[in-house]
Amino acid sequence: MNRRTFCIALTGAALSLSATVLAHHGRATIFDMTKETTVKGTITEFLWSNPHVQVGIDAVDAKGTHRHWFLEMSSTSIMTTKGWSRKSLKVGDTITVVFHAGLRGAFTGDLLKVIFADGKQLTT
Amino acid sequence: MYARDQLLIRCIGFVGVFMLIAGCSTEPRAPVAPQHPDFSGVWLGATRTSWSSTRAKAGTEPDIPYTVWALERMKGQVPGTAGVPDADFENTTDPSLKYADPLGFPRQYQHPLKFKIVQTDDYIYQMWEWNKVWRQIALNKPHSDDLEITWYGESVGKWEGDTLVVDSVGFKDSTWLDGVAHPHSEQLSVIERIRRLDPETLQIDFTFEDPIAYTRPWTAQHKFKLVADGKMTETVTTISDELLYRERYLNKKPPMPIRR
Repeated sequence: MNRRTFCIALTGAALSLSATVLAHHGRATIFDMTKETTVKGTITEFLWSNPHVQVGIDAVDAKGTHRHWFLEMSSTSIMTTKGWSRKSLKVGDTITVVFHAGLRGAFTGDLLKVIFADGKQLTT
Repeated sequence: MYARDQLLIRCIGFVGVFMLIAGCSTEPRAPVAPQHPDFSGVWLGATRTSWSSTRAKAGTEPDIPYTVWALERMKGQVPGTAGVPDADFENTTDPSLKYADPLGFPRQYQHPLKFKIVQTDDYIYQMWEWNKVWRQIALNKPHSDDLEITWYGESVGKWEGDTLVVDSVGFKDSTWLDGVAHPHSEQLSVIERIRRLDPETLQIDFTFEDPIAYTRPWTAQHKFKLVADGKMTETVTTISDELLYRERYLNKKPPMPIRR
């Protein structure tokens, strides 16, 4: 495989993967896909559900205000192929989450990554 | 030589002559069942949002021969699925998102979830993870005289060498052919030519024919990869799940009680 063919194959694989992640709906009108937000907080719920797996996070922002975030992932089937299960997150645990936040100041997000207290990570 | 041995030799000779005659007989032998390729397994295709081979805006693709009826029908449609430029989930007219309608056929193939093929001599079954949708292809049978109009149509198939040729008709015209609102009428006919390119790859060549929506038949191709572990999961979305999602992420109050 020459360099050009390899690059085309890699790009195709990346496009295919991103399209798979964003299966249920277009997200550009819901989330700010240009910016990543990082929040540390406590898990209040972990919904292993469709059309999207969801996690609720209680966190305190830089001004000391309590915020509750709803973060979505892909469907259960797709998350399973990425190594997730209904036991991946536990209510009460403290985690750091990286996500595309909701537009218009909504406390929602498109989850990209979870970082656990021991440094281990799970990506979506 | 003992009489017993002579009898044994005669018997062996008789059986030998009989087998020789049988072997030379001109009588037709029982037909041997043809060996068809085995498509059994769990398959997954890449997500795609349009059957067009181009990236042109929907309604202008050079490989799709629209009728005026089709172009009129596309006016005002708002796709909502990911991967479509300008997709708008909040205001989409996509029936699968707006009404939670089935994706229908052949759009079902574009969803990024696995399907399993179960192959028998009389039927081939496709079973998708997504909402446990399934479809059957009757082999070597004609279409029904009194065709039902359904979400997934009626499919009959036959083998042509290593290729399974499937003819499907009888589709509800409310579904989209794909995620960019390509329309169809109840006169849609979909021909699939399905073959296994190699042990890991299934290729389907589609021909869409619909005299109401398209001026001539047009084609598309999609490939699927064998899923090594063959695992199928349950991926069911209920109205309650969908309304809870919309309440949280679109700030839409559910119009009916939902499970929380």
